[in-house]
Amino acid sequence: MSLFRQRIERIGTALLDAAGAAIELWLVYVSTIAGILRGLSRRRGGRGRPRGELVRQLFHIGNKSLIFIIVTLGFIGMVMAYQACLQISRVTGDFSQIGPQTLRLIVSDFGPTITGMMLATRVGAGIAAEIGSMKVTEQVDALRMSGVLPIDYLVVPRFIASIIMTLMLTTIGSLVMFAAGGLTANYSWGVNPNLFFDLSQVRPRHLVLFVIKAATFGAAIPVVAGFCGLRARGSSEGVGWATTAAVIGSSFAVIVLDFLISAAALFVTGGDL
Amino acid sequence: MIDEPPAGSLDHLRPQRDEPPPPSPETGIVSRAFEGIGGGAIRIAQEVGGIVVLSGQVLRALVPPRIDRRELVKNLYKMGNRSVPIVVLTAFFAGGLMTLQAGPFVIKFGAAALAGWAAGYAVLREMGPILIALMFSGRVGANNTAELATMTVTEQLDGLRALAIDPVQFLVVPRVIAMITMLFALTIIGDFVALAGAAIVARVMLGIEWSTMYHSFADNLRPYDFFHGVYKSLAFGGAIAMSSCYFGITVRGGAVGVGRAVNAAVVAAAVSIMLLDFFLTYTTG
Repeated sequence: MSLFRQRIERIGTALLDAAGAAIELWLVYVSTIAGILRGLSRRRGGRGRPRGELVRQLFHIGNKSLIFIIVTLGFIGMVMAYQACLQISRVTGDFSQIGPQTLRLIVSDFGPTITGMMLATRVGAGIAAEIGSMKVTEQVDALRMSGVLPIDYLVVPRFIASIIMTLMLTTIGSLVMFAAGGLTANYSWGVNPNLFFDLSQVRPRHLVLFVIKAATFGAAIPVVAGFCGLRARGSSEGVGWATTAAVIGSSFAVIVLDFLISAAALFVTGGDL
Repeated sequence: MIDEPPAGSLDHLRPQRDEPPPPSPETGIVSRAFEGIGGGAIRIAQEVGGIVVLSGQVLRALVPPRIDRRELVKNLYKMGNRSVPIVVLTAFFAGGLMTLQAGPFVIKFGAAALAGWAAGYAVLREMGPILIALMFSGRVGANNTAELATMTVTEQLDGLRALAIDPVQFLVVPRVIAMITMLFALTIIGDFVALAGAAIVARVMLGIEWSTMYHSFADNLRPYDFFHGVYKSLAFGGAIAMSSCYFGITVRGGAVGVGRAVNAAVVAAAVSIMLLDFFLTYTTG
């Protein structure tokens, strides 16, 4: 009986923890949106984010991730095209649809998702490490003491910068992915580049899906990472834990959101995607 | 004469992360750009070199295999069993996603028999192993870096060395073995969950019968599609293990350093997963 009870207690504690974390995550999200609105209404607010912070974050999140995104997405684009050609060569040997269908898949799914996963590791870990170190060295408490809301000061600039830069990086990454795929298909399977670089299968609704996905992932990563960073406790161990949690949390958020958006898109368009 | 490092010291792994001298005001923007590129290249070369040297030490420590059993079992449990939920969830969504991507064809052309082929091929060969490896890198690799880095900044590694225990042999080798074994095992579990996820999503969202999906898997997928993904996961496990251990034991400077080390470890793991995936796919098809 006692063992059974212990198990139940453990499950219950885990569920309560998860529910508490979900509420807290939701609060971080809501306060971030509220912080953006406050920043809009108070033009030259003395208590908002520091001047130039947004530009600094744009640089840190965007420019510094550029090479990472180009390398990873370039290689995965090569692998994708290679596997697709391999499979087609076993079945029909007709390579004419490879390029257009690859592009359709990249625009409607793989481009935003894989860029999102990569940014979740790089940007998510970076944000959590930075905010987590500030939390454990009591800089966040110092902010609160001086009447600044930590979310306005720390999370809001990263949130805005991440949405803008994820859109840009996703666009660049998808182009790199498609170009690398075309080169691989041509080099190792002799697919004519004119056949591969064919935009005919991409429709405006795919581009809408592309923008929605990229913006959603860009918004989710800093919120999850900021939440994990602000929960950091203790010392160096706490920062390590926060960074780990941010990587898993934001990667998982990207996968789940991608699934939900894809399913919703399939239903909204009635399968005509 | 070469200065031998003291036995068990890890100082030779540590890159000289000195701050570059600040550029003088009259330095032109072109030469500053070149300095930036060169500095970045040298730093990357130092880190890659450090990882290779550490890999050599791990292999050397395996020659007469003296592995700490308790540490190995503890890590196998912590890295494997405790990661099952996140891997199962990731794999389920990965399988479902691939089916959703085939959805338009199923609805427009009624090509239900092809859904399992497309989803199964994509999941077994690429998306399953890669997504599981990325989540494993986040869950286990980052955690391992954080743990080793905390031990390093609190000087526990020096403590081990003072007791004449080689930190590479005692801490790194069991972790490397555990990560490679467990990512391999988790990828096998994840592949099956992903196929189940693909079938469930196909049934619930696209209305494809279970038997259609089963035959689509069974007729079109070859055993090699499965093995191709699974043996790549061995390489991914090795890459995650080496980068996470390397950045963990070469960390410097308190809580800020630990956060940075974890960040660097997951980035290095992601890049090496993509590179290895390309080369292994290209050489073994």
